[in-house]
Amino acid sequence: MAGPHEILGMSRVLGIGTTEFLALYTDNQGTTLRSEADGPCVFLTSSGCRVHARRPLVCRLYPLGRSTDERGEERFALFPAQPECEAEVGRDGTVAAFLESQGITPCLGWSRRYGEIYRRMIGLLERLDIQGKIDAPAADAPAEAAQAGSGTAGSGQEPDRAPLSSWQDIDASLAEYRSTKGIAVPTEIDGAIAFHLRAIEEWLDDLESRLGPA
Amino acid sequence: MGKQENRKTVSRRDVLKLAGTAAAFCTSFGFLHGSQTGGAVQGKHIQEGKHLQARWQQAEIKWYKGSELLSSTPFPSKVLKHLQSDEAATVEIKLFRTGKLLKNLGKIKSKF
Repeated sequence: MAGPHEILGMSRVLGIGTTEFLALYTDNQGTTLRSEADGPCVFLTSSGCRVHARRPLVCRLYPLGRSTDERGEERFALFPAQPECEAEVGRDGTVAAFLESQGITPCLGWSRRYGEIYRRMIGLLERLDIQGKIDAPAADAPAEAAQAGSGTAGSGQEPDRAPLSSWQDIDASLAEYRSTKGIAVPTEIDGAIAFHLRAIEEWLDDLESRLGPA
Repeated sequence: MGKQENRKTVSRRDVLKLAGTAAAFCTSFGFLHGSQTGGAVQGKHIQEGKHLQARWQQAEIKWYKGSELLSSTPFPSKVLKHLQSDEAATVEIKLFRTGKLLKNLGKIKSKF
């Protein structure tokens, strides 16, 4: 799994843009990191993770796992130990102390913000009464949704390889936002993520205003 | 009636983009079952049972002469199954000869 902000961070470690990263290193229409044929993550090398400095939250959290309910409330639990993993796993300490020690808090903060946006989108979809299309990702909806994306993400890619949504591609989304609004957008990672969230929220604000009061 | 009006105010393009973005975030952030079932753990399901199974899966008893390994024996499947069944499970290893207990060699706890 890899959210848009995580793709941005990893792409910067590799010195490429998010559009290129999505094309080269993701599967399932830009939603998961690519794996080698025999299983390991594409970034795992004999000397470690190639994108360790900006590895996704799910990697930072290990051996903890995180789940959220429909209201966004979080739970953490311990993964089964992987025999080939050299990490030391213990049961001492608290989740909060672990998150702090691993420098997870900022990354978790961004994931929570995207989670809020996700729940807002689900609320909008429920109002539009098209929830059934979300529950059937293998149907026509994703391909249509990708075509409906207004950014440049996925340009030149086969439809089943293109990202599900142009919002997954932060560089492309912000280029369009800059062009539409005529304002400068930050290039550093955290500033770009904040602008990406702002751009999505403005789009949702517009959709909600067109729908009228709930 | 209200829904009919709503659909006219939001373009098909926006509806599809909304659905696509929600589906993408659903997978990207691990909401595998959507909001209806309350989300899912990022990655795999966490099960203590699997944790125990992995811990004991390739357990062996090794016999040493000093630092020299003389023999290695996997745990009998019945013992393994018991240790994997519960964190509180224990087994004792006892040395016998012709049915007579010579020595209790100790206890192995599932959780150590």
